[in-house]
This record gives sequence, C-alpha cells and structure tokens, in this order.
Amino acid sequence: MTPLYIRDPIHGFIVLDEWEQEIINHPVFQRLRRIRQLAWTDMVYPGASHTRFEHSIGVMHVVTRMFKNIRLRSEDILKNDLNYTDGGLDRVLALVRICSLMHDIGHGPFSHAAEEVMPTCEASGEAYQHESYSAEAVALMEDVINHPTNEKNYGITVQDIKDFLNGEVSDENRLLWRNLLSSQLDADRADYLLRDSHHIGVAYGHYDLDRLVSALMVAIDPETDVPVLAVAEGGWHASEGFILARYMMFTQVYFHKTRRAYDLHLSETMKSLLREEAHTECRIEEHFPPPTSADNLRAYLQWTDWRVLGLLHQGKGGDHGAIIRERKHFRKVFETREVPDKADLEFSEEVCERMGDKVGFVDKAEKSWYKFQDKDIPVLQGIKGPKKLLTPLSHLSSVVQGLKSVSQIRIYVSEEERKEAEETIQALREAHKGN
Amino acid sequence: MGSKINTPWHRYALIAELALSLEGKSHQFGKTSLQKLVYLLQELKGVPTHYRFSLYTHGPFTAQLLGDLDLVEALGAVRVEYVLSGYGGYQISPDRELAPIRGKASEFLNENKTSIDRVVEEFGAFSAKDLELRSTIVYLDRDVKRSKKDLDRDDFVGLVKKVKPRFTEDAIAEALGELENKGYVETRTT
Repeated sequence: MTPLYIRDPIHGFIVLDEWEQEIINHPVFQRLRRIRQLAWTDMVYPGASHTRFEHSIGVMHVVTRMFKNIRLRSEDILKNDLNYTDGGLDRVLALVRICSLMHDIGHGPFSHAAEEVMPTCEASGEAYQHESYSAEAVALMEDVINHPTNEKNYGITVQDIKDFLNGEVSDENRLLWRNLLSSQLDADRADYLLRDSHHIGVAYGHYDLDRLVSALMVAIDPETDVPVLAVAEGGWHASEGFILARYMMFTQVYFHKTRRAYDLHLSETMKSLLREEAHTECRIEEHFPPPTSADNLRAYLQWTDWRVLGLLHQGKGGDHGAIIRERKHFRKVFETREVPDKADLEFSEEVCERMGDKVGFVDKAEKSWYKFQDKDIPVLQGIKGPKKLLTPLSHLSSVVQGLKSVSQIRIYVSEEERKEAEETIQALREAHKGN
Repeated sequence: MGSKINTPWHRYALIAELALSLEGKSHQFGKTSLQKLVYLLQELKGVPTHYRFSLYTHGPFTAQLLGDLDLVEALGAVRVEYVLSGYGGYQISPDRELAPIRGKASEFLNENKTSIDRVVEEFGAFSAKDLELRSTIVYLDRDVKRSKKDLDRDDFVGLVKKVKPRFTEDAIAEALGELENKGYVETRTT
C-alpha cells in the first residue's frame, strides 16, 4: 500500500503510512466523523461543524513536526542523557503518532458536552473522562494495531498505547513524550486553536505554529535534573502568542455564554435519552456504561451525534431536548468578572440563594474542558555554572504575567424566568449600594 | 430546577493556610511544593480537596490548583513572586487579605488542623526535588494498589527508579523507608 496524502485545511497535505491508514479505516476511528469537535457551537458560530476525525489527524501531524524538531535541536540530550538510539527515537515517534491519532476515539456524542454523564469509577471515586474510554477502546482495535508494519519495526502493543493515553506512564522518558499530547504546550491544543478558528471564522486562535515548533526542545531542569519540554529563548514570543490565543479562544469561543448554555442543555438531554433508551443496553441510571468491559465499550460507542440527533428528531430528550430543537436556551442573567474578587464571589452566592429554584444552571469557568489555568512554559535562558537555566514564560513575559486564570461564574435562567430574575438581581445590587 | 454555587472557599483557605504555615519553614514554598503538599494532604490525610492529580514530569500535578492559586493571589491572600536565588522560581507568601480568606473556611481549617500541621511538620522543610520524589512514591503506591499488581519491595523501588531515574536507588529506598515507617505507603517484603 502506498502512503496516503490527506489534504487538510490547516496543515496542507498530511501523510499516513499503511499502518495508520488501517487504523483510520477501522470503524472505531471512522466513528469520529460523527462526533462534532465543538458540540453545539454552531448555535452561535454557524461554521462550527467540523469533527474529531479531522482534528485527530491534525494532532498526529503537529506532534510529528514537534517531535522531529526536538530530535534535531536536542539530539545531544536525547542520545547522551536519555540514552536513545536512532532506532529508539523512531519507535517513540511511531508511538506518539499512533497515540495522537487515537487520543479522542473515546469521546462521547458532541465531544466534551457529553462528559457530564460519564459514570463514576469505583476504584478512584471520580467520574470517568473520555481519556479512559479512549484507552480502553484501543483494545477493540487490536487487529489493526498488530499490523505487520508495527510488528516488524516498532513492537508497539495495545498496552503501550493504553498506558500512554491513560497517563499510566511507566518511565521518565514516556512522561516526557506524553507532554507532547497533554501539557500546556501540546499538539492537541496546537491543532484545535487553529482548526476551530478556521472553521468558525475568527482570528482569536491564530499564532505562529512554525516558529513555535522550530523553538521546541528538550532541556534538563537544573533544579530537579528532570528532562522537560521547553522552548528556546528565541521562541518565547511565539509561546506568548500561543498562550494569548488560548486566552482569547477561551473567552470568545469556548466559554461563550450561549455556547456553554447548549453544553449544559445537552447534559440534561443526555440524561433523558439514557433513561429513554435504557432498554437497549447496559447502563447506569442517567449515565453511560463504564469502560470496564468490551460489551460496555461497544454499547458506549453506539452513541454518536447522529444517534442523538435522530432521537431528538423523534421528539425525545425531555424538556432540554425541546429547548435544543427550538433554540430557546436558558439566558445568562448574572456573571462575575473574569477574575472575581471576594465581594463578587459572595454576591454571586447571594444571588443564587435568593433565586432558589428559579436558577436554571450555574456555570463556572473552571468546569469548562478548555479552561484557562495552566499557562507557564519553561524557556531556556542563559547559563548558570555548568547548567542551562530554565525561566518560566510568566516571568519573562509581562503579558503572560498579567493574564490570570479565568474563574468567572455565571447564572442562567429559563426565558420565562428571565425578567423576574433580572429584577431580583437589580434589587439586590441596589440594596448593596445602600449599605 | 435550582443549583448552588458551592464556591470552593476551603481550597482557597488551604492555599492561604499553607503559605502562612510554611513561612520561614520551607526552603522555598513555590508552585511545585504547593502541588506536592496538597497532593500529600489529600492522599495521606484524606483532606477533602477533591483535586484530580495526574503523574507529570515533576510528579503528581493538577492544573486546577494553579488556577486556584491565581485566584487566591488575585483575592490578595497570597503573594506569588519570582525569586532569583538558587535556580530561581516562584515563592508563595502570605498577603494582606490572608485572614479574611482563611476565615471563609475556618471550619474546614479547624477540622483538618491536625492533618495540615502534621504534613507541614513532616514535609514542609523538604526541597521541591525531595517532595517530587516522595509524592511520586505515594502516587505509584496508590497506582500499584489500584491496579492490584503484586510487587515486592525491590520491584517497587525499581518502578520508582524507572519513573525517577535521577534519584539513586539508595535515595529512593531511604524515602520509601520514611514513608513506610509512618504508615503512609504499603510495607512490601523484599
């Protein structure tokens, strides 16, 4: 089989070898064509209809560029400090490409919007996340993972991929490479900022990918001797642009008040649908089946945007399903500042308490999957004694230093309750002014 | 329908409390130390912070705690400053609004006072590097138990060594011994 060239709207041609083609052709991966990247964002930005399918291929492409540049820039550390051979590095590249390609196969319908109806894991006591489903779904693709290209060249096992996706990384070097897929400077964000901006028609997520990639390297943290992903000094303004792009996309797109309302409506809709469809599969009350068996996973993977849209079209999904059908979303009647002060937080609590049952949803920035919290990147700068210094970007850049994590809180009510809620809030504000 | 805000004042107060307790005790109470101490409080003492930690390059880490630190700084309860001594890095210290923020969760702080004092006493003087090793040992101990792997002590030291190869086996065994003696991790037979 010859290499496949896929034309991508962001990165141009993306090349896949025959092993990767087999993975893409597998039904578990093809399912991503039916999972929209940004859920119901098209209710606000009509162009937002792209899917996890193209994003996953894009992440694989970006991770490859990142890895190849790191290999060029940091060959000395990789071979002399971390003991890699050229063959070992080829295997790492194959692993990070495959893991990047497969990292989203466990997403539920409408991507992160379905995350609220994931069941709780008995062992950890915490809700499962899509990463757990992705990791377990790898086992359903064992036949294509054990492809001759892999077996003859890399020997990557199902367990290797599961561990990488689950974050159960068995050694220091893999922890380092996992940063390429999950860190403040990863290929996932690098792709979705550009892709989402392109499809919805905004410029907020644009940054200089070429410069950023060319500045990436591995450095040894002088304080802890740990290998870390860092940026060469010349690339720190490109990193600054990347952080700014994240901040702008968060405030203008991912945490858009109406977009978030539809995430919340979908969670409620999914609870109804899971109740209504309970006869068709194993499930926990109002939750997806946990990723603890092949049968559960197969049942879970039956859930796609298409299935949810079909059920909504049949009139299912309860009151919130009707809200989505009729685009009569709950309205934001109150919000704090992006970085609230103590009085802001206390006032929001008072508003919520006063409104009682009239409150439709409370939303918090920290609950968003795209939350803007970790924003530091180590920058290689200067030398102290025999070691090179790593300085946090937030110290070098006054722009990044000034950007605080967004901790905004919003309160929503139904359209019918809107007027009364606004009057209640206004009365509370006046009472506070009077005090 | 109705929904509550549930502002996590207890988390904000805990950050403020650690800044106060570690003033003068910690070599440098920075962002890495904060991550590891909160992790140890949650795992060893069951202090209910409900952060979701994952294993990263420098040990257990959660971005949510960085977000909370940013807010606590904005609320004026702590100061986060870059210091140039040593290899540099951030230092967290008490600020003007410390008392009101601690006061918002005084019940939580009182209920967990013994645990907080104990962790500060036992781990507060460690460097970020030492905390990284100890928190990683605890993380791997929990992970091994969760996945029901049967490892003897040498296997476990070997596992830690793979994740933290910059530490000698002696240093790992010593840190593991400390944690075993305090009953914080399982005592595995050799």
